[in-house]
Amino acid sequence: MSQLHFVIGDPEVCTGCMICVTVCSMHFYKVISPERSRTRVVRLDNGLDFPLFCRNCEDAQCIPACPNGAISRTSKGTVIVNNAKCNGTGACVEACPYFAVHIHPDTRKAIKCIQCGECVRRCPADAIWITTVDELTERDPKGKILGLHEEYSEELYGEEARR
Amino acid sequence: MIKGVGGTILRIDLGKGKIEKQPIDEDLIRRYLLGAGYLSKVLFDEIAVDTDPLGPENVLGFATGLLTASMFPQASRHVIAALSPLTGIWGESHAAGFWGAELKLAGYDAIIFKGKAKGPVYLNIKDNEVDLLDASPIWGRDVFETDDYLREHHGKKCRTLAIGQAGENLVRFAAIMNDRDRASARSGLGAVMGSKNLKAICVRGTGKIEVARPKEYLKQMDEFYKRMMANPFTEGRIKYGTTSLVEMMQHIGRLPSYNMRQGVFEGYRRISGEVITDNYLVKPRSDWCCLQRCGRFTTVRKGPYAYIGGSPEFESQSSFGSRCGNDNVESVLYAHHLSNQYGMDTISLGATISWAMEAWDEGLLTAEDTGGLDLSWGNHEVIVKLVKMIAFREGFGDVLAEGSKRAAEIIGRGTDRFVMAVKGQEIAGQEPRAQKSMGLAAVTAARGADHLYAFPVLDEVGFDKEIRERFGEQYLPEIADRLNPKYKGVMVKECEDYMVVVESLGLCKYGTQIPAEFFYDDVAQALLIHNGLEFTREELQTIGERIVNINRLFNVARGITRKDDQLPDRLTKEPAPVGPSKGQVVELDQMLNEYYTERGWDLETGIPLMKTLKRLGLEKEGKGLAIESE
Repeated sequence: MSQLHFVIGDPEVCTGCMICVTVCSMHFYKVISPERSRTRVVRLDNGLDFPLFCRNCEDAQCIPACPNGAISRTSKGTVIVNNAKCNGTGACVEACPYFAVHIHPDTRKAIKCIQCGECVRRCPADAIWITTVDELTERDPKGKILGLHEEYSEELYGEEARR
Repeated sequence: MIKGVGGTILRIDLGKGKIEKQPIDEDLIRRYLLGAGYLSKVLFDEIAVDTDPLGPENVLGFATGLLTASMFPQASRHVIAALSPLTGIWGESHAAGFWGAELKLAGYDAIIFKGKAKGPVYLNIKDNEVDLLDASPIWGRDVFETDDYLREHHGKKCRTLAIGQAGENLVRFAAIMNDRDRASARSGLGAVMGSKNLKAICVRGTGKIEVARPKEYLKQMDEFYKRMMANPFTEGRIKYGTTSLVEMMQHIGRLPSYNMRQGVFEGYRRISGEVITDNYLVKPRSDWCCLQRCGRFTTVRKGPYAYIGGSPEFESQSSFGSRCGNDNVESVLYAHHLSNQYGMDTISLGATISWAMEAWDEGLLTAEDTGGLDLSWGNHEVIVKLVKMIAFREGFGDVLAEGSKRAAEIIGRGTDRFVMAVKGQEIAGQEPRAQKSMGLAAVTAARGADHLYAFPVLDEVGFDKEIRERFGEQYLPEIADRLNPKYKGVMVKECEDYMVVVESLGLCKYGTQIPAEFFYDDVAQALLIHNGLEFTREELQTIGERIVNINRLFNVARGITRKDDQLPDRLTKEPAPVGPSKGQVVELDQMLNEYYTERGWDLETGIPLMKTLKRLGLEKEGKGLAIESE
């Protein structure tokens, strides 16, 4: 099983406060701006709030998608963007099935979650944590959390979510 | 340059369809901050004294606070103000959510509307692009349908603010809703929006908020978050929101019941926070950067009252529940949900229904008046039916849509003695005979009866430590005794000054007042790192006083004096008949004298003295209104 780390959130616990989003944009870009955050929160009208992050996929689609070879995996397993090589083609954004890579509106570089944990340690609801596939299975043996992500994939990653 | 703001004010003439952008006025901000303070000054200057609240000349302002969209705990709020159609005086209302933050991210701190559109319109904001668009497809639609339509057309990430049918039908306590279930409920500002043919404001902001001290920012917020989470109040707030106030208020006899005949309700357990949490709570839900998350997301799964949505607050439990003698909790939840859907203030709505129920109970209203509806205490089917009838002004609902004061004038027969209102606005869920400071606060609040303008909760459940910090020893122990009228004038004055500052910053009263975790020094620190504005505690306090005084001048110009700062006779003359506060009345005159003295207002008339206004730099505004003599 994969030991790659990624951040996951429980949509039944997340209260939708967006603190993770604001922490991220402040930590990395010194502004408050959901558009300049590496994470996002989608609130549905049925009471579910989804905090959404890079899944750090084993077969990360964003890596081969980049025409400039700007995206790679570090020795620790984190998928990162090389800013020197990135010129904002947006191919990675299109390739990511989770809409977890975005183009920063000011720098025009791709940005994504690198599991730094800044938001995790500040989540007031303890709704998000750094996990692995194994850890998540242990914590949520019935797969409810990922099941909900799957069930609402259109709302979370579909065309409307990307607009 | 002030940081942490949008930087631009939108000025919109609906009659001419003209949209103008103005830079924010930094001098004005230094004197009034943003939010409530900013609108207080702008609307004082721009609304003529003889204006019809529902006429095109009324000015309707929306503003974010200086800290709205900051990362300060609960910095989610915006404020709306206009001349109120319910009271004919200062009208102001606030809500949390995401709409205010989105407006700021689009680059705007406030929107000021004048005039009346020729047909239904909505304002659509996408960053720099601001357009008035045709709202005829959504006119007649409820708040949820309007939100669906706007996000369908302009993108799911938009944040919407809208009126429902109640606002269109000029119900005098219509709310302005945002993010579906957040309500700027009081003062009937939804009717002002309706009178202007303005259905909604849809906002998408993709901008950024630059702060004054980015390097210190997260460290400072970490400290604020730690304190907020460690506060002993937070755990209960997360678990119950405000719903468990039913139990607490019953305990001290402050739960308005049977139209405020009394402060205890025998069926309180059935509408309690515990019942709602155990049976209907889906989860607590937050607004922008909210750690307290008093917002509830609830559902009734089956039966006539089935729904899923955001609700309720203590105020709704008290207004549709105990106040109407109703212990059917599902009807309470559903009535609240319908009020969100149609866009109405649950306080005035429930209070107006309970006025009618008491008149019915006394035999002064009959089936002939009500179109056959049986208004017996606790008739939950009729309560729910009336919510819709009022929103659509159907049958007897048309009378109740005028609010309890006007409804009593229409019905006559002495039913005015059951009107539990101040200056035409219904008293919220605080039976003041059980907490004297709330009685005083209800009469001094600028928008008519209101618990939030001062929100004097320090004497409610033993905040002796906070009292000591804020007032020293000099007023203890009397000030902390909720049944003792002594020093309540001091407390209400001090609380008003602070609370209007909080409303001008876009912060929440949870965190700043109950629990009183953050006080002037903390918000001053936030203003420094977020906005780069330096204020001392004394300077902020003076700004608070200035705002309260200009609100008062707005009302004085419309004839308000001490004679209007009065509670219904029931609360000052009839001793509480049962419960822990049995035998109590509100000693209002004594408290008012103390309050006016603290304020520097004339004792006889309650009008500000010119020397007070001079101290606050309001000489020009007070001309022709203030009392000149000593």
